[in-house]
Amino acid sequence: MTADDTVAGVTARPIDTDGRISISLRVNGREEALRVRPHHTLLEVLRNELGLTGPREGCGVGMCGACTVLVDGRPVSGCLLPAALAEGHDLLTIEGMEGPNGELHPIQQAYVDHTGFQCSYCTPGFILTSKALLAELPDATRDEARAYLAGNLCRCGSYVKILDSVMDAKERLRGQGG
Amino acid sequence: MSEPLRLFEPTSVEAAVGVLAALGDDAKVVAGATALTLLYRQRLIAPGALVSIGRIPGLDGIEVADGELHLGALVTHRAVELSPVVRSAIPVVASTFGKVANVRVRNAATVGGVLAESDYASDPPALFLALDAVVDVQGPGGRRSIPVAEFFIAFYETALAHDELVTGVRVPIPPAGTGAVYHKFVTRSSEDRPCVGVAGLVRLDADGTVADLRVAVGAAAETPQRYRDAEALALGQRLDPDVIARIADAYADRVDTLDDMRGSAWYRTEMVRVWVRRAIESAAATAPAP
Repeated sequence: MTADDTVAGVTARPIDTDGRISISLRVNGREEALRVRPHHTLLEVLRNELGLTGPREGCGVGMCGACTVLVDGRPVSGCLLPAALAEGHDLLTIEGMEGPNGELHPIQQAYVDHTGFQCSYCTPGFILTSKALLAELPDATRDEARAYLAGNLCRCGSYVKILDSVMDAKERLRGQGG
Repeated sequence: MSEPLRLFEPTSVEAAVGVLAALGDDAKVVAGATALTLLYRQRLIAPGALVSIGRIPGLDGIEVADGELHLGALVTHRAVELSPVVRSAIPVVASTFGKVANVRVRNAATVGGVLAESDYASDPPALFLALDAVVDVQGPGGRRSIPVAEFFIAFYETALAHDELVTGVRVPIPPAGTGAVYHKFVTRSSEDRPCVGVAGLVRLDADGTVADLRVAVGAAAETPQRYRDAEALALGQRLDPDVIARIADAYADRVDTLDDMRGSAWYRTEMVRVWVRRAIESAAATAPAP
């Protein structure tokens, strides 16, 4: 199985006897060496191999946003991305949001202060998507935030308070000079 | 345990095509993976090898040349949506890609992917059909170009051979004075796939008669549908409600609508009638005065 598997001049990733390949992922600023099956999703690998349980499986088909991971700052569905394809990119989960002394990120604090959640299952996805939104549109209007966050579902229905949180987070980030 | 899945990461189109030619149907191309992962997890496909094309340089370009908008196969939906080049050349292309799914899917899903997958319930195919776009592909025998009108064959089936790769799509820029819209009608949430999607283009002559009218209906049948003889009903005519209704009726009569959880065949037929009319009306309203 470890024999060189070359087809038309292209060598496949070496596969170990247990069907796994070696990959390295840069997660929350740390380089992680991992052994995964090529079909393992980023969500599965983050949770099961790295113990990062912030990204969660909701729908499993890319519609709910509970598994949101920022890839080079852009939100993607961890449930739809094979982990091997995330190599070479900067990955951020909710675990990487806090400051060096464990203080909450201003967006996180805004969600806490406005109670922008009930059961909190969807919250990591909402906060990461909010971060991408405010990086892209620092002056986002409530309507722009609503459109950007339309693909994140909250089955508790906390949308009003979530949008309150995002609008307040915008002001807090502005107060920080970005 | 089943055979382990092999992962190939070619760095040129030639190499990718070589792997596809050697492995045949057992290999699946993957780029943004949003479609492939779903199909894999639902056990609709069981490939023995993945050919990841994300490391191939030169397939992520967006540019205008020779009156055409060129989109590389690896350009993401989100990049199309936000591109100033696209927004300036053919604004409806940017706005339509911005209506697909949600921001996460748009950050991963690619132009080549939405073409090669041939999912009936995607938004861009109908628009590309209305715009007379051409798909550029490359196989072991070289390159060829396939008009979108000949590209989509059936559910998940295209004119691509198993060893051909989509390298990009070229979209002719409509003449000045053309109004173009894509209406996405959803029956559930705003980020859902369309029940019916209609692309409409209208250009009027100086005397107010129709110089060009195009309508393509997506998500209602196996492949996007466009009827040139129905479009021609408007040529040289004033775009009054009777003419628009005749075209809308022609589409409603002819699209072989399908049933799914987003609408029954009967309902889709009636929605085709409504949305073809609205697409023509709003394309005409969008068209700058000649």
